[in-house]
Amino acid sequence: MSPLLDVRDLRVEFATRHGTVTALDGVSLRLEPGETLGVVGESGCGKSITALAIMGLIPMPPGRIAGGSIRLDGEELIGAPERRLRQLRGRDIGMIFQEPMTSLNPVFRVGDQIAEAILLHQDVSRDEARTRALELLRTVGVPDPGQRIDAYPHELSGGLRQRVMIAIAISCQPRLLIADEPTTALDVTVQAQIFDLIRDIQDRLGVAVILITHDMGAIAEMADRVAVMYAGRVVEEGPADAILDSPAHPYTRGLIGCIPAIDPALAALDRLPPLAEIPGVVPPLHLLGQGCAFADRCIEAVDICRKVAPPLTGRGHAVACHLHAAAAASEES
Amino acid sequence: MNELSRSAPERAASPAAEAWRMFRRNRPAMLGTAIFLTMLGVVIYGSLFGGDPFEIVWAPQTPPGEDGFVFGTDYLGRNLATGLLVGGAPTMAVGAAAAVLSIFIGVTIGALAGYYGGWVDNLLMRITEFFQVLPALLFAMVLVTLFSPSLVTIATAIGVVMWPQTARLTRAEFLKIRELEYVTAARAIGAGNGRIMWRVILPNALPPLIVSATLTVGVAILFEAGLSFLGLGDPNTMSWGMMIGANREYILDAWWPVTFPGLAIFLTVFSVSLIGDGLNDAFNPKLRER
Amino acid sequence: MNTAAYIARRLFYGLVLMFFVVVLNFVLIRLAPGDPAEVIAGEMGGITQEMLADIRATYGLDKPIATQLAIYLGQIARGDLGMSFFFDQPVAKLIGTRIGATILLVLAAQLVSILIGVVMGVFAARKPNGVVSALVAVFSTLGYALPVFWTGIMLIIVFASWLPIFPVEGMRSARFEGGSFAYVLDVLHHLVLPAVTLAIIFLAQYARLARASMIEVLGADYIRTARAKGVPERRVVFHHALRNAVLPILTVAGLQFGNLISGALLVETVFNWPGMGTLAFDSILRRDYPTVMGILIIGAAMVVVANILTDLGYRLADPRIRTEGGRR
Ligand SMILES: Nc1ncnc2c1ncn2[C@@H]1O[C@H](COP(=O)(O)OP(=O)(O)O)[C@@H](O)[C@H]1O
Ligand code: SF4
Ligand SMILES: [Mg+2]
Repeated sequence: MSPLLDVRDLRVEFATRHGTVTALDGVSLRLEPGETLGVVGESGCGKSITALAIMGLIPMPPGRIAGGSIRLDGEELIGAPERRLRQLRGRDIGMIFQEPMTSLNPVFRVGDQIAEAILLHQDVSRDEARTRALELLRTVGVPDPGQRIDAYPHELSGGLRQRVMIAIAISCQPRLLIADEPTTALDVTVQAQIFDLIRDIQDRLGVAVILITHDMGAIAEMADRVAVMYAGRVVEEGPADAILDSPAHPYTRGLIGCIPAIDPALAALDRLPPLAEIPGVVPPLHLLGQGCAFADRCIEAVDICRKVAPPLTGRGHAVACHLHAAAAASEES
Repeated sequence: MNELSRSAPERAASPAAEAWRMFRRNRPAMLGTAIFLTMLGVVIYGSLFGGDPFEIVWAPQTPPGEDGFVFGTDYLGRNLATGLLVGGAPTMAVGAAAAVLSIFIGVTIGALAGYYGGWVDNLLMRITEFFQVLPALLFAMVLVTLFSPSLVTIATAIGVVMWPQTARLTRAEFLKIRELEYVTAARAIGAGNGRIMWRVILPNALPPLIVSATLTVGVAILFEAGLSFLGLGDPNTMSWGMMIGANREYILDAWWPVTFPGLAIFLTVFSVSLIGDGLNDAFNPKLRER
Repeated sequence: MNTAAYIARRLFYGLVLMFFVVVLNFVLIRLAPGDPAEVIAGEMGGITQEMLADIRATYGLDKPIATQLAIYLGQIARGDLGMSFFFDQPVAKLIGTRIGATILLVLAAQLVSILIGVVMGVFAARKPNGVVSALVAVFSTLGYALPVFWTGIMLIIVFASWLPIFPVEGMRSARFEGGSFAYVLDVLHHLVLPAVTLAIIFLAQYARLARASMIEVLGADYIRTARAKGVPERRVVFHHALRNAVLPILTVAGLQFGNLISGALLVETVFNWPGMGTLAFDSILRRDYPTVMGILIIGAAMVVVANILTDLGYRLADPRIRTEGGRR
């Protein structure tokens, strides 16, 4: 079966004051229909840029797609005409953003903002679009949708606005839904509701989901596969269970060590070697040299780490770390 | 792109020195400075050695360049070159004095409103709104006519109508800065309100105020020119605006008597505006990178 | 706060402002050197003792100052702006014949400058380093530095004298014949140069503001949302972005009315436009103080009304204000 989404060796560059920086450096991802891919990594690792690249929404300039391929159902999206991309956006790929407070247009009613997406992609009347918008509001669990359809964004709470965003994203029954940190800006209680809603929608529509989040609990519950990103690269990729149970990359282990273990469902993860949170921060892209980008923060770094960037190796569960490569090699021999 | 924009620490220089360095490298701003200094030189020279601009020296409306009159003569036969030399002084003097007055009023009111907040702010802002409701030129005209036109009344009238903008800007800056740590720190070591306002907050509010003060000078010059054009200037003092006003009935016969004084006003204000923009860029280098 | 209560509050505040304008007028006349009765009569020749006595009686000038103020406020409240001794007409009537021309000029200039300014700003925002952006920057310096009365004269020399496309002055042709449609055209023909002159000052400001505002809005999250829905770029700019980008322009437009009226004063004088500006100019030269003061009051009232109308427009354009109450 061919994958729904096949991203290969994607490179994105930005022109900045410090010259050209490489925001994505050879990112590859695969997603089967109906599957959920969790993408994790600290802020600035390139998760959003990956999502925007798939949408064809990298701001150009200053951005530039410097190489690689993005295929949706076998169709190459890089270099595709804007008309075609516009058709796909909102119809075949829906996207939910991190900031529900600012992601809706403040001067239009939410019902109209949902209906607009429907009218753009489907041959229906205004009334029909409104009826569907109403249904969608009900689907995403907005209470009292008959009233709320005529509300302006500022009249709704953050959680409700995010539900409206979800309604917009699924309004044309997309095959792929990208949720970029959909809960980061929300209250803790609301976060769980939004995740439940996304899972519910996935069950109902059979849509494939790219879930970008810091919430390892949500990853554990929802993701089939996980990609861990660091400084514009995928450093570990594989089945969710494998990565959560036995993270191979020192960075992934650090990340998982950061989980606040409040959720009892996460207690299972306690058997992981307890790692303190990772010291240091993601280096600014323009200061990246050769070698492993994580080397400066890695407690296990060895000499070669500063000289040669480790490639992503392994089938199924792939890791980009010299230590892991060595371990794998010695196991094989 | 925050982490990207914070570059490796550059050699620290004092903010004023840094701003001056930026300003010097800004070509339009340097051009403005050059034009302004030239105009200023001409005006100073003119008021010392310019001669009598009211004296009738030749046939009326002699075109520029003829009979040795570089700028020609006006409808009465007065030498326009003399008028241009002499007529800048009241414009610049009144403009500067009015700007100083308006900045003084505006900064005082804005600072008190922004610093004290509460009812003081409320009252002062209502007064500011009140003055913004009065069409400034009309109000200045009334003041000048009621109190007879002289350079002092004109400068006062212009100063009195122009301050609201400065007050609003100052208030906004004070509101912002009074919450900052170093103000709290100053208060903690026992600095009084007056000291905090004028010694702690004001110096930090200066960059935007300096930019706005520069632009205020330009507006004040235009104001003076407008009043003189209407014939409300000091009748005994020749000014660029007055030259335009006096000759405007005859523009269809002779274009030069109105064109050159207008150009002089324009060049002066234009140079001030370039300087203002340059200062703005120098104080806010980030804004320019957009 | 609902709109009716809001309007009521704004009107009340406007009345308070106008009250103080009138008080200011009163104070100014008393502060002016000389006998108030003579100030009110103006410095025209041939004032008789009877006229002065008349004025003293009408304005109660022999009564205590508080009573005088009360009398004056009462007159103004009844719409009585006093008598113009020079024109020998009630000031209110004089202004009434002139106010329409001023409103026409001011609104035309405001409309032209906002429309062209916004269009320029939008195109400049699309290419922040492009040609239009450079033009906006140049224009805004010019708009700031050009003396409006001189611009007007230059436009007359070029477009009425050298290339006789537009009339030199006035609002209608001297010997006009034709129907009402032709009359409108004739007025518009006369309106072009004065309106453009006045618009030039403000055009640049609006363009600069529209550019900055549009650049900011185009970077907003909701614009990304619109694009993610597949909205065509043209609609992103002119529907999603523009509606938000004009909000700050509306605010500034409201604040500009005072300056517009000041500018109109000069432009009217240059073009002999029969509005309040030329009236003010004429009456000031004749020391006809009641007329001048009346114009100051009416000018302030126009600014107050314009501010209320822009605030209402803003409430219509920005749903956030309607529910959150007044805007500061
Ligand atoms: N417009 C831009 N200009 C320059 N650099 C950018 C821009 N947008 C993103 N980047 C860079 O790309 C990197 C990845 O950003 P992003 O994908 O937003 O990270 P995150 O993983 O937090 O979503 C960041 O380090 C950022 O510096
Ligand atoms: S390659 Fe070296 S530095 Fe990088 S993660 Fe592995 S051990 Fe650490
Ligand atoms: Mg992100």
